[in-house]
Amino acid sequence: MTGLFIGNNDGGNSDGDGGGGGDETAAGAPLGREALRLFMRNRAAVAGVIILVGVIFMTYIGPSLYDQDPSRIIARPLQGPGTEDVPSFGTDYLGRDVFAGVVNGGDTTLRVALVATLMIVVIGVSIGAIAGFYGGRIDTALMRFTEIFQVMPALLFALVIVTLFEPSTMVIAISIGIVLWPSLARLTRAEFLRLRNLEFVKAAQAIGASDARIMFRVMLPNALPPLIVATTLVMGTAILFEAALAFLGLGDPNNISWGYLIGQNRGSVLGGWWTVTFPGLAIFFTVLSFSLIGDGLQDAFNPKLRGR
Amino acid sequence: MLGLVLAVAIISFTLLHIAPGDAAVVIAGESGSGDPELLAEIRQLYGLDDPFVTQLGSHLGRVATGDFGQSYRFNESVVSLISERIWPTVLLGITAIFFAVVVGIAVGVYTARRPESWASHLATILALVGFSIPVFFLGIELIILFASVLDWLPAGRMRDLRFEGNFIQRWIDIGEHLILPAFTLAVLYLAQYSRQTRASMLETLQSDFVRTARSKGLSERTVVYKHALRNAVIPVITLAGLQLGTILSGALIVETVFDWPGLGRLAFESVLARDAPVLLALLMLSSVLVILANLATDVVYRLIDPRIRVGGAST
Amino acid sequence: MRISVMRLLALLACLGLLAAACGGSDSDSAGDDAEASADAEVEEAMDDEEPADEPEPEPEEEEEEASEPEPADEDEQAVDTTLDEEELEEIESDDAEAGAVDSGPIAGGSLLIGSTQVPRHLNGTVQSGLATAVPGTQLNASPLLFDENFNPQPYLAESWEVAEDGLSVTLNLVQGAVFHDGEAITSEDVKFSIETAQAGHPFKTMFAPVTDVETPDDHTVIINLSQPHPAILLAMSPGLLPIIPEHIFNDGTPVAEHPRNTEDFVGSGPFRLVEYEAGSVIRMERFEDFFIPERPYLDEIIIQISPDPASIVLGLEGGDIDMSTTLGSAANIIRVRDNDDLILTAEGHEAIGPVNWLEFNLEDEVLSDVRVRQAIAYAVDRDFLSDVIDQGTTFPVTTGIVPASPFHNADAEAYAADQDRARELLAEAGYADGELSLAIDYIPPGQQATAEYIVQALQDVGINAELNVSPDFPSWAGRVAGGEHQLTVNQVWNWGDPVIGVHRTYLSSNRVGAIWTNNTGYANDEVDALLDAAGQEVDRDARIALYADAQAIIAEDAPIHFLSTSPFWMALNPRVQNPPIGIWGSMSPMLDVWLAE
Repeated sequence: MTGLFIGNNDGGNSDGDGGGGGDETAAGAPLGREALRLFMRNRAAVAGVIILVGVIFMTYIGPSLYDQDPSRIIARPLQGPGTEDVPSFGTDYLGRDVFAGVVNGGDTTLRVALVATLMIVVIGVSIGAIAGFYGGRIDTALMRFTEIFQVMPALLFALVIVTLFEPSTMVIAISIGIVLWPSLARLTRAEFLRLRNLEFVKAAQAIGASDARIMFRVMLPNALPPLIVATTLVMGTAILFEAALAFLGLGDPNNISWGYLIGQNRGSVLGGWWTVTFPGLAIFFTVLSFSLIGDGLQDAFNPKLRGR
Repeated sequence: MLGLVLAVAIISFTLLHIAPGDAAVVIAGESGSGDPELLAEIRQLYGLDDPFVTQLGSHLGRVATGDFGQSYRFNESVVSLISERIWPTVLLGITAIFFAVVVGIAVGVYTARRPESWASHLATILALVGFSIPVFFLGIELIILFASVLDWLPAGRMRDLRFEGNFIQRWIDIGEHLILPAFTLAVLYLAQYSRQTRASMLETLQSDFVRTARSKGLSERTVVYKHALRNAVIPVITLAGLQLGTILSGALIVETVFDWPGLGRLAFESVLARDAPVLLALLMLSSVLVILANLATDVVYRLIDPRIRVGGAST
Repeated sequence: MRISVMRLLALLACLGLLAAACGGSDSDSAGDDAEASADAEVEEAMDDEEPADEPEPEPEEEEEEASEPEPADEDEQAVDTTLDEEELEEIESDDAEAGAVDSGPIAGGSLLIGSTQVPRHLNGTVQSGLATAVPGTQLNASPLLFDENFNPQPYLAESWEVAEDGLSVTLNLVQGAVFHDGEAITSEDVKFSIETAQAGHPFKTMFAPVTDVETPDDHTVIINLSQPHPAILLAMSPGLLPIIPEHIFNDGTPVAEHPRNTEDFVGSGPFRLVEYEAGSVIRMERFEDFFIPERPYLDEIIIQISPDPASIVLGLEGGDIDMSTTLGSAANIIRVRDNDDLILTAEGHEAIGPVNWLEFNLEDEVLSDVRVRQAIAYAVDRDFLSDVIDQGTTFPVTTGIVPASPFHNADAEAYAADQDRARELLAEAGYADGELSLAIDYIPPGQQATAEYIVQALQDVGINAELNVSPDFPSWAGRVAGGEHQLTVNQVWNWGDPVIGVHRTYLSSNRVGAIWTNNTGYANDEVDALLDAAGQEVDRDARIALYADAQAIIAEDAPIHFLSTSPFWMALNPRVQNPPIGIWGSMSPMLDVWLAE
């Protein structure tokens, strides 16, 4: 799982070769519309969107339709699906409703992933942009800094952070952010290095635009396609990290998440496969939806490489 | 590069130092609770009362001479602990990555050549599944299926402790234990490699030099296997090399799920036990591995194709 | 050149796939065969197992890990007679059957024990806990053994005598006993071991009254006490006082940090260490020169350490593991119970007596009010916890001394579940519905189920309760030892005699800031006096009376709400004969264990 940080990065780079192909001048809206059209023609990507919408619906509308407190003990423990008077997904090791857990667990999972992703984007893009834009010593220094985080084993590093502080939702999100930002920083840097020497950037400099303005108003929009793809995939990775940490026992019991449900019921897995299987499937489908969407976006932004 | 290792050492030491909690209490707890006198003794023994900078300095000094201290949790030196646990991880990691590379490339080539066949679609979907499935979830489900329900394979550990047999039989025993964890670990990599191979193949097959080769009348086989594949394999090998460096992280969950006696499990247990000396050593070891993997990949890369230099990957 | 490499790769891939496919089908049929034969055997050999009806809880598992040990206990006698008897029958019938078939113990064989417990090292003079004691008692002998009625039996000491006034104990050691390196075991070694334990063992009360140890000759030891000490003989049990070689450990290195605690181990016990992989494998071989002739029967004992109890259960089911007392969750225990090929018993380990409880930090402003504590006690239903949450694998207890102990007071206030009474008391204390907020700690991760139930039970009487999570044992121990908590679920072991395992929790003088001492801040002069008196009282009935009073007062003050005791559920492969079901269970030398077949 943690191999991803390099995997994504390299994948991104190799795409980057052809990335933005064709839009070497400031692109923007037309590209967006074209990309949307291509995206919508991609059946897998549309399936991803549908799954994601389903997940969001379940997570944010579901609890009001299925009104069962996931932390209430409602029956004997470990009653399987199909047992009489037991909810459809069975009960967990305490006698709580697994289905209610699945319905309510998505909120925390998605929240952790969102906060972590936001952090990754802010840190990664800022550092990558500055390094790529200024180059030289600043670039070297920032990349050395990035490497420190990149050579640390990501999951172990996150695990250490969560253990040393506390397994609260916020600490978990931050720890994931801390270990996953380098890939985005490198990708951003690569994009900025490429854009830096293009005509329209030079033009902006010539008319005296500030560095910040050039970086974030002129260059960033042109670097967006690969960044959007990477961000989508990072969402999926962040969810997997949250789940992995929770599986290892580092979840926040006051905020039930899918990973937490699995971590909790891990000790009883031999007594009830359903306790881990349903939350596991929820995680799987959510991550899958992000992967599908990411793939679809990549194809849409790089029509040349369609069919990959 | 040394600077990088030093930075990792300093950051991890600082992190473990500023964390709430008292190392002496941990050590005392490990020896079965304890009283204030014992705590004081332990603090003195491990130098826990010294100022932070002194502790950091003496830690770095010792590390420089290859002394990583004593594990808090085990009455044993960190070096001997790690040297006991490293081989299972190496075995697991190399098996998994080798399997993933071989199968990943095969699948990638096939799907690139016949993109519209049903097998290709299936492979594409499976790759996405492999990419999206939580490793521990896959591991647990495999244990339930193959070890518990079907009872074909051992559920965990690396060998049968009472197994008696000759050298080859012992390795067969280990091999049986290796199948599930190695497969689980390989799935993620496999998904990446097949996608990567496929993408590179497609790209290469459309490129000018392949078109030239075709126009020269070379057979499709030669074009695909001699020219295109060689180019397509390079990024996969690169990726695999780099990931071998991060194997500790990848193995952490798999080793925990399958009770594999390697460094990943040791790392996880050391985190829970707050075994700082072991953790510090593992973080450093892992960083060094990543750096070495980068260097090695760089070298191999140049050997395969002297024209290309690795950009982003070199550290 | 490169082409061929690529072809080779492709070929390998194909071969790999092929091999995988074949391998699959091979193992398939092999598996079937194995299964079939296993089934057959089972039918032939065993119809009798089926174990008990009670399984056990899971807190234990973690806890032990943590360091004190803890699993379970046994209250079968008191709580669940039926079950016990069934279990007994089972085990007995087993033995009987095997005996009939084989007409006596067979020497030889290898016993594989699965455990979640990771020892720090193997020297029990300075380390408590199951993790060290299970291998430690095989590797080192102790002065005494104990029978199922807590009566001392000869071991290294062939006879012993407690002086009239209770102020000295004389041990006469067997002749001819040697350490694994061939050196004779002498009175000097016993003296050294006692002094080491006195200085370094976490149970300070065990040898606290020892003033000095005399060694008039090589085989006589006289232990002098400052006051009568009813637990002195029990403190010489295998798990509490292993005899270690002075000629190895008396070299200036602190014993707790001594490298010989795991390397080149020289012990005095029936087995010697041949392989030690920290946290993973402990392999012990029969010691040929052991001082008891023809014992042990086994050639080898291997302890296989797996952090995950599920893998132990699967190992038991597959026949790879012969014995385990660390089964983890209630679900696992029930799975073993329901497996016809395995035996589950709650017998054994009576001396350990783990008690699960909910303790209050009396220095917390809210919880200093006894009405609040009593309200919480009424709100938390221990029967529900044992019967439903733990699925019958734990048994309710109402005081801090387990029912199996002669010192248990069954008449102390029990706080039977009563939500109305809880609300009344809260109202009296001045808290309206929803006005009181409390955070509950627990030993991670084993006690989380209990803690989660308690949160719900408190919410049901209008208290805003939530969990306070510690990511690992040391964090929890740090919080509780440092008094940073409000309430915590805890598990503390009785350790055979209240002097060793019970006093430490209540004595106001034992508020020393370490875990499993007086962590509540409880201070009651009367209780202090009663416990002090009981700790010096040699007359058993008088002791019983003193402890009864102490338990009654403690119940009134409610510094702790007692929940349950967890037996040491032991899973056994039926071929294991004479399993260790004494008062110390697996924490005693397996001299008589043998394997049928």
